[in-house]
Amino acid sequence: MALSRSMRACLHSGRLALLAILVSGGIVLQILACALYNNWWPMLTVLMYLILPMPLMFFLGSDNSSVMSNGGDGWVNFTKFLTGASIVGSIAIPAILKHAGVIGWGALAMELSSFVVFGVAILWFLQMSSEDEYSSMF
Amino acid sequence: MEHNNLLAAWPVVGPGVAGAVFGAGWWFWTDAVVCSAAAVPFLHYLPGFFATFAALMFNCVNREDIGDGYYSPYDDSEWRVKLWLFISYVVSFVSLAGAVGFLVQDALTNTGPSAWTGTAGVLQCVCVLVSGLIYWTCHSED
Repeated sequence: MALSRSMRACLHSGRLALLAILVSGGIVLQILACALYNNWWPMLTVLMYLILPMPLMFFLGSDNSSVMSNGGDGWVNFTKFLTGASIVGSIAIPAILKHAGVIGWGALAMELSSFVVFGVAILWFLQMSSEDEYSSMF
Repeated sequence: MEHNNLLAAWPVVGPGVAGAVFGAGWWFWTDAVVCSAAAVPFLHYLPGFFATFAALMFNCVNREDIGDGYYSPYDDSEWRVKLWLFISYVVSFVSLAGAVGFLVQDALTNTGPSAWTGTAGVLQCVCVLVSGLIYWTCHSED
């Protein structure tokens, strides 16, 4: 596509703004799930959201390309293992709270949609940053 | 074509899938313990712990160590790897059997944990062991 540099920069910052809106929407959904029902138990899920990026930060640093590459280091595999477990944990905690009768269906729905929104935002961010690497090579 | 793509992508997403299955196993057990009306005795926790231990054990070996590609009459250390794998197999089998035994016991008696606790225990063992297998297939694929 023959976009001028300024157009491309404008589109890029537009995408970043949309990403920021998505993330704040996720945070709002998470807090609403607690505030609307005056039941602060769902905030436990925030623990999982905190744990989730930790393996990526500690073991990978700024080495983003090794996530998508083949096989790799033992530590990269362990990082992916921990990330997978944390993702399941952030779905599991609201489900357990619902099963134990601590929260209702509405709070569960909001928690899960907050998770989906965060997931979409992260995937989009990863796709954007890999596009940036590709385009900045030229 | 689809099969080839999956094979190519497996070492990239495999560890994540293994982590997800492992987490699912332990979270099933947590759900059962939290939602159980009766207190779950410590004995019921053991199959899950042993299954995790067995998954850890057989992930310590590389697949290449037990291959029969290179045979040397001076290299007799292969039996140690096979013994290690055998012990981990025994531990995982015993933990599965124990979990099934607790499920049967929970389903038959009214006092003590409910049938969901026993089911969750079996699911936990299965998920943990499957996750260990998935992780093993990923990290030896280079």
